[in-house]
Amino acid sequence: MFKQILTIGAISTMSTIALAAETPIVGNVSSKCSIFTDTPGVYGNPTPDELSTLPADGGVYPVIRYDVSIADYYTAKISWPNSFSTAPSLTDSVTWDGEVEVSNTSDAGMSGYEAAKTEYENHTEYELTVAGSTWFKITSEAVYGVDKSLPGGEYKANVVAECIAD
Amino acid sequence: MNKLHNVYAAALTLFACSAAAHELTPTYPEIRPSYINGVSVTTMQMWNRRSDALYYEVNVFDSEWNPIPFATPNRILYMGYLSHISFDIYIRDNDINKISYICTTSKQLKEDVISTGIKSKICSRIK
Repeated sequence: MFKQILTIGAISTMSTIALAAETPIVGNVSSKCSIFTDTPGVYGNPTPDELSTLPADGGVYPVIRYDVSIADYYTAKISWPNSFSTAPSLTDSVTWDGEVEVSNTSDAGMSGYEAAKTEYENHTEYELTVAGSTWFKITSEAVYGVDKSLPGGEYKANVVAECIAD
Repeated sequence: MNKLHNVYAAALTLFACSAAAHELTPTYPEIRPSYINGVSVTTMQMWNRRSDALYYEVNVFDSEWNPIPFATPNRILYMGYLSHISFDIYIRDNDINKISYICTTSKQLKEDVISTGIKSKICSRIK
Protein backbone atom coordinates (compact mmCIF):
# COMPACT_ATOMS: atom_id res chain seq x y z
CA MET A 1 0.00 0.00 0.00
CA PHE A 2 2.79 2.40 1.05
CA LYS A 3 4.69 1.57 -2.17
CA GLN A 4 1.60 2.33 -4.26
CA ILE A 5 1.14 5.72 -2.60
CA LEU A 6 4.82 6.50 -3.16
CA THR A 7 4.55 5.57 -6.85
CA ILE A 8 1.40 7.67 -7.41
CA GLY A 9 3.04 10.61 -5.59
CA ALA A 10 6.16 10.35 -7.71
CA ILE A 11 4.14 10.28 -10.95
CA SER A 12 2.11 13.31 -9.87
CA THR A 13 5.28 15.25 -9.04
CA MET A 14 6.84 14.36 -12.39
CA SER A 15 3.75 15.40 -14.34
CA THR A 16 3.62 18.74 -12.47
CA ILE A 17 7.28 19.35 -13.31
CA ALA A 18 6.62 18.45 -16.94
CA LEU A 19 3.68 20.87 -17.12
CA ALA A 20 5.67 23.66 -15.52
CA ALA A 21 8.49 23.18 -18.00
CA GLU A 22 6.20 23.38 -21.04
CA THR A 23 4.67 26.85 -20.74
CA PRO A 24 6.31 28.89 -23.44
CA ILE A 25 5.39 32.52 -24.08
CA VAL A 26 5.88 33.47 -27.68
CA GLY A 27 5.78 37.02 -28.97
CA ASN A 28 6.14 38.61 -32.38
CA VAL A 29 6.41 42.27 -33.29
CA SER A 30 5.50 42.98 -36.89
CA SER A 31 5.32 46.31 -38.68
CA LYS A 32 2.07 48.07 -37.94
CA CYS A 33 0.61 51.57 -38.10
CA SER A 34 -2.24 52.76 -35.88
CA ILE A 35 -4.03 56.09 -36.25
CA PHE A 36 -5.46 57.42 -32.99
CA THR A 37 -8.04 60.19 -32.93
CA ASP A 38 -6.88 61.80 -29.69
CA THR A 39 -8.86 65.06 -29.83
CA PRO A 40 -11.71 65.82 -32.21
CA GLY A 41 -11.41 69.47 -33.18
CA VAL A 42 -13.95 72.21 -32.70
CA TYR A 43 -14.41 75.34 -34.80
CA GLY A 44 -14.51 78.68 -33.05
CA ASN A 45 -16.29 81.62 -34.68
CA PRO A 46 -14.07 84.66 -33.93
CA THR A 47 -15.67 86.90 -36.54
CA PRO A 48 -19.03 86.54 -38.38
CA ASP A 49 -17.29 85.40 -41.58
CA GLU A 50 -14.70 83.01 -40.10
CA LEU A 51 -14.43 79.56 -38.54
CA SER A 52 -11.12 78.51 -36.98
CA THR A 53 -9.69 75.72 -34.82
CA LEU A 54 -7.10 78.11 -33.28
CA PRO A 55 -7.56 78.27 -29.49
CA ALA A 56 -7.12 82.07 -29.71
CA ASP A 57 -10.24 82.08 -31.92
CA GLY A 58 -12.22 79.92 -29.50
CA GLY A 59 -11.53 76.68 -31.33
CA VAL A 60 -9.87 73.38 -30.40
CA TYR A 61 -7.12 71.80 -32.48
CA PRO A 62 -7.88 68.29 -33.75
CA VAL A 63 -5.00 66.07 -32.56
CA ILE A 64 -4.07 62.79 -34.25
CA ARG A 65 -1.54 60.29 -32.97
CA TYR A 66 0.35 57.88 -35.19
CA ASP A 67 1.94 54.78 -33.65
CA VAL A 68 4.41 52.76 -35.69
CA SER A 69 5.93 49.60 -34.27
CA ILE A 70 8.94 49.48 -36.60
CA ALA A 71 10.80 52.43 -38.19
CA ASP A 72 10.89 53.24 -41.91
CA TYR A 73 7.80 51.26 -42.95
CA TYR A 74 5.16 54.01 -43.24
CA THR A 75 4.49 57.56 -44.45
CA ALA A 76 1.95 59.73 -42.64
CA LYS A 77 -0.14 61.95 -44.91
CA ILE A 78 -2.47 64.42 -43.22
CA SER A 79 -4.84 66.72 -45.11
CA TRP A 80 -6.59 69.72 -43.62
CA PRO A 81 -10.19 70.26 -44.81
CA ASN A 82 -10.96 72.14 -48.02
CA SER A 83 -14.73 71.69 -47.96
CA PHE A 84 -17.52 71.31 -45.41
CA SER A 85 -19.09 67.88 -44.96
CA THR A 86 -22.10 69.56 -43.33
CA ALA A 87 -23.10 73.21 -43.73
CA PRO A 88 -26.15 75.37 -44.41
CA SER A 89 -26.69 76.47 -48.00
CA LEU A 90 -23.81 78.81 -48.95
CA THR A 91 -24.19 81.30 -51.77
CA ASP A 92 -20.59 82.58 -51.83
CA SER A 93 -17.16 80.92 -51.96
CA VAL A 94 -15.20 79.77 -48.91
CA THR A 95 -11.44 80.35 -48.67
CA TRP A 96 -9.71 77.51 -46.83
CA ASP A 97 -6.34 77.52 -45.09
CA GLY A 98 -4.64 75.13 -42.73
CA GLU A 99 -1.45 73.82 -41.21
CA VAL A 100 -0.28 70.46 -39.86
CA GLU A 101 2.40 70.43 -37.17
CA VAL A 102 4.08 67.88 -34.93
CA SER A 103 2.84 68.68 -31.42
CA ASN A 104 4.49 65.92 -29.39
CA THR A 105 6.74 62.89 -29.83
CA SER A 106 7.65 59.81 -27.81
CA ASP A 107 11.26 59.74 -29.03
CA ALA A 108 13.88 62.47 -29.30
CA GLY A 109 14.85 61.04 -32.69
CA MET A 110 11.58 62.40 -34.11
CA SER A 111 12.69 66.01 -33.59
CA GLY A 112 13.58 66.31 -37.27
CA TYR A 113 10.10 65.38 -38.53
CA GLU A 114 8.84 68.97 -38.70
CA ALA A 115 11.81 70.24 -40.74
CA ALA A 116 11.64 67.27 -43.12
CA LYS A 117 7.90 67.43 -43.85
CA THR A 118 6.61 67.85 -47.39
CA GLU A 119 3.65 70.20 -48.02
CA TYR A 120 1.54 70.46 -51.16
CA GLU A 121 -2.01 71.70 -51.69
CA ASN A 122 -3.81 70.83 -48.44
CA HIS A 123 -1.61 67.77 -47.75
CA THR A 124 1.41 67.33 -45.47
CA GLU A 125 3.58 64.21 -45.54
CA TYR A 126 5.95 62.89 -42.88
CA GLU A 127 8.29 59.91 -43.26
CA LEU A 128 7.90 57.91 -40.04
CA THR A 129 11.59 57.04 -39.66
CA VAL A 130 11.53 56.32 -35.92
CA ALA A 131 9.41 53.72 -34.09
CA GLY A 132 7.02 55.14 -31.51
CA SER A 133 4.22 57.69 -31.19
CA THR A 134 3.91 61.07 -32.90
CA TRP A 135 1.13 63.58 -32.22
CA PHE A 136 0.04 66.01 -34.94
CA LYS A 137 -2.17 69.06 -34.44
CA ILE A 138 -4.14 70.52 -37.31
CA THR A 139 -5.12 74.13 -37.82
CA SER A 140 -8.09 74.73 -40.08
CA GLU A 141 -9.56 78.10 -41.08
CA ALA A 142 -12.51 78.88 -43.33
CA VAL A 143 -13.33 82.44 -44.40
CA TYR A 144 -16.62 83.12 -46.17
CA GLY A 145 -17.00 85.48 -49.11
CA VAL A 146 -15.80 89.08 -48.74
CA ASP A 147 -16.91 90.48 -45.39
CA LYS A 148 -20.05 88.33 -45.48
CA SER A 149 -21.50 86.67 -42.43
CA LEU A 150 -21.70 82.87 -42.43
CA PRO A 151 -25.34 81.73 -42.39
CA GLY A 152 -26.44 80.33 -39.04
CA GLY A 153 -26.37 76.55 -38.70
CA GLU A 154 -24.14 73.58 -38.16
CA TYR A 155 -20.70 73.38 -39.83
CA LYS A 156 -18.59 70.22 -40.00
CA ALA A 157 -15.43 69.36 -41.91
CA ASN A 158 -13.11 66.36 -42.06
CA VAL A 159 -9.38 66.05 -41.51
CA VAL A 160 -7.98 63.07 -43.44
CA ALA A 161 -5.21 61.10 -41.72
CA GLU A 162 -3.53 58.46 -43.87
CA CYS A 163 -0.82 55.95 -43.04
CA ILE A 164 0.66 54.48 -46.22
CA ALA A 165 3.09 51.57 -46.28
CA ASP A 166 6.35 52.46 -48.11
CA MET B 1 8.63 66.06 -7.17
CA ASN B 2 6.88 62.70 -6.68
CA LYS B 3 3.53 64.50 -6.65
CA LEU B 4 4.37 66.08 -9.99
CA HIS B 5 5.26 62.66 -11.42
CA ASN B 6 1.94 61.25 -10.19
CA VAL B 7 0.01 64.10 -11.80
CA TYR B 8 1.96 63.60 -15.03
CA ALA B 9 1.29 59.83 -14.99
CA ALA B 10 -2.43 60.38 -14.34
CA ALA B 11 -2.62 62.90 -17.16
CA LEU B 12 -0.89 60.49 -19.53
CA THR B 13 -3.25 57.66 -18.52
CA LEU B 14 -6.30 59.83 -19.11
CA PHE B 15 -4.87 60.95 -22.42
CA ALA B 16 -4.21 57.36 -23.48
CA CYS B 17 -7.68 56.19 -22.41
CA SER B 18 -9.41 58.84 -24.48
CA ALA B 19 -7.65 57.73 -27.66
CA ALA B 20 -9.29 55.67 -30.37
CA ALA B 21 -7.47 53.86 -33.14
CA HIS B 22 -7.80 52.21 -36.52
CA GLU B 23 -5.39 49.39 -37.48
CA LEU B 24 -4.86 47.34 -40.63
CA THR B 25 -2.40 44.45 -40.96
CA PRO B 26 -0.34 42.94 -42.52
CA THR B 27 1.77 45.82 -43.82
CA TYR B 28 2.88 43.74 -46.79
CA PRO B 29 0.12 41.21 -47.64
CA GLU B 30 0.93 38.14 -49.68
CA ILE B 31 -1.26 37.14 -52.61
CA ARG B 32 -1.97 33.44 -53.02
CA PRO B 33 -4.03 31.40 -55.51
CA SER B 34 -7.72 31.11 -54.61
CA TYR B 35 -10.13 28.23 -55.24
CA ILE B 36 -11.42 30.10 -58.33
CA ASN B 37 -9.51 29.66 -61.57
CA GLY B 38 -7.81 32.93 -62.68
CA VAL B 39 -8.44 34.67 -59.35
CA SER B 40 -6.02 35.20 -56.45
CA VAL B 41 -6.74 36.12 -52.86
CA THR B 42 -5.16 37.86 -49.91
CA THR B 43 -6.36 38.07 -46.32
CA MET B 44 -6.33 41.28 -44.26
CA GLN B 45 -7.03 41.91 -40.59
CA MET B 46 -8.55 45.00 -39.05
CA TRP B 47 -9.04 46.18 -35.50
CA ASN B 48 -11.43 49.03 -34.75
CA ARG B 49 -10.68 50.94 -31.59
CA ARG B 50 -12.57 54.03 -32.77
CA SER B 51 -15.86 54.38 -30.94
CA ASP B 52 -16.79 57.24 -33.30
CA ALA B 53 -16.38 55.21 -36.53
CA LEU B 54 -18.18 51.91 -37.08
CA TYR B 55 -17.95 51.64 -40.86
CA TYR B 56 -14.84 51.17 -43.00
CA GLU B 57 -14.53 51.13 -46.79
CA VAL B 58 -12.12 48.75 -48.55
CA ASN B 59 -10.29 49.89 -51.71
CA VAL B 60 -7.52 48.57 -53.94
CA PHE B 61 -5.25 50.91 -55.94
CA ASP B 62 -2.33 50.79 -58.38
CA SER B 63 0.87 52.79 -57.86
CA GLU B 64 -0.80 55.94 -59.30
CA TRP B 65 -3.80 55.58 -56.95
CA ASN B 66 -6.14 54.47 -59.74
CA PRO B 67 -8.76 51.99 -58.47
CA ILE B 68 -8.29 48.31 -59.35
CA PRO B 69 -11.31 45.99 -59.59
CA PHE B 70 -11.60 43.51 -56.73
CA ALA B 71 -14.18 41.48 -54.87
CA THR B 72 -14.72 41.10 -51.15
CA PRO B 73 -17.78 39.96 -49.18
CA ASN B 74 -18.45 43.53 -47.97
CA ARG B 75 -16.91 46.66 -49.42
CA ILE B 76 -18.25 48.62 -46.49
CA LEU B 77 -17.36 46.76 -43.31
CA TYR B 78 -19.45 47.23 -40.22
CA MET B 79 -17.12 46.98 -37.26
CA GLY B 80 -18.28 47.34 -33.70
CA TYR B 81 -16.08 49.23 -31.26
CA LEU B 82 -13.07 47.05 -30.24
CA SER B 83 -13.94 44.35 -32.75
CA HIS B 84 -11.47 42.45 -34.93
CA ILE B 85 -12.26 41.31 -38.44
CA SER B 86 -10.45 39.20 -41.00
CA PHE B 87 -11.52 39.53 -44.63
CA ASP B 88 -10.46 38.15 -48.01
CA ILE B 89 -9.86 40.28 -51.10
CA TYR B 90 -10.13 38.54 -54.46
CA ILE B 91 -8.19 39.95 -57.41
CA ARG B 92 -8.01 38.81 -61.02
CA ASP B 93 -4.66 37.22 -61.89
CA ASN B 94 -4.36 39.75 -64.76
CA ASP B 95 -4.37 42.61 -62.22
CA ILE B 96 -1.88 41.17 -59.73
CA ASN B 97 1.10 43.02 -61.18
CA LYS B 98 -0.78 46.34 -61.14
CA ILE B 99 -1.79 46.32 -57.48
CA SER B 100 0.15 48.53 -55.08
CA TYR B 101 -2.13 49.40 -52.18
CA ILE B 102 -4.98 47.86 -50.21
CA CYS B 103 -6.62 50.51 -48.03
CA THR B 104 -9.38 50.83 -45.47
CA THR B 105 -10.95 54.24 -44.81
CA SER B 106 -13.19 55.15 -41.92
CA LYS B 107 -16.73 56.29 -42.77
CA GLN B 108 -18.36 58.36 -40.07
CA LEU B 109 -22.04 58.97 -39.72
CA LYS B 110 -23.04 62.63 -39.82
CA GLU B 111 -24.27 62.55 -36.25
CA ASP B 112 -20.97 61.07 -34.98
CA VAL B 113 -18.91 64.08 -36.14
CA ILE B 114 -18.72 66.87 -33.56
CA SER B 115 -17.23 69.79 -35.50
CA THR B 116 -14.10 68.60 -37.29
CA GLY B 117 -14.23 64.87 -37.96
CA ILE B 118 -11.14 62.75 -38.51
CA LYS B 119 -11.18 60.37 -41.45
CA SER B 120 -8.49 57.71 -40.97
CA LYS B 121 -7.07 55.73 -43.88
CA ILE B 122 -4.46 52.97 -43.61
CA CYS B 123 -2.88 51.41 -46.68
CA SER B 124 -0.92 48.17 -46.88
CA ARG B 125 1.49 47.70 -49.76
CA ILE B 126 1.78 44.82 -52.20
CA LYS B 127 5.46 44.30 -53.04
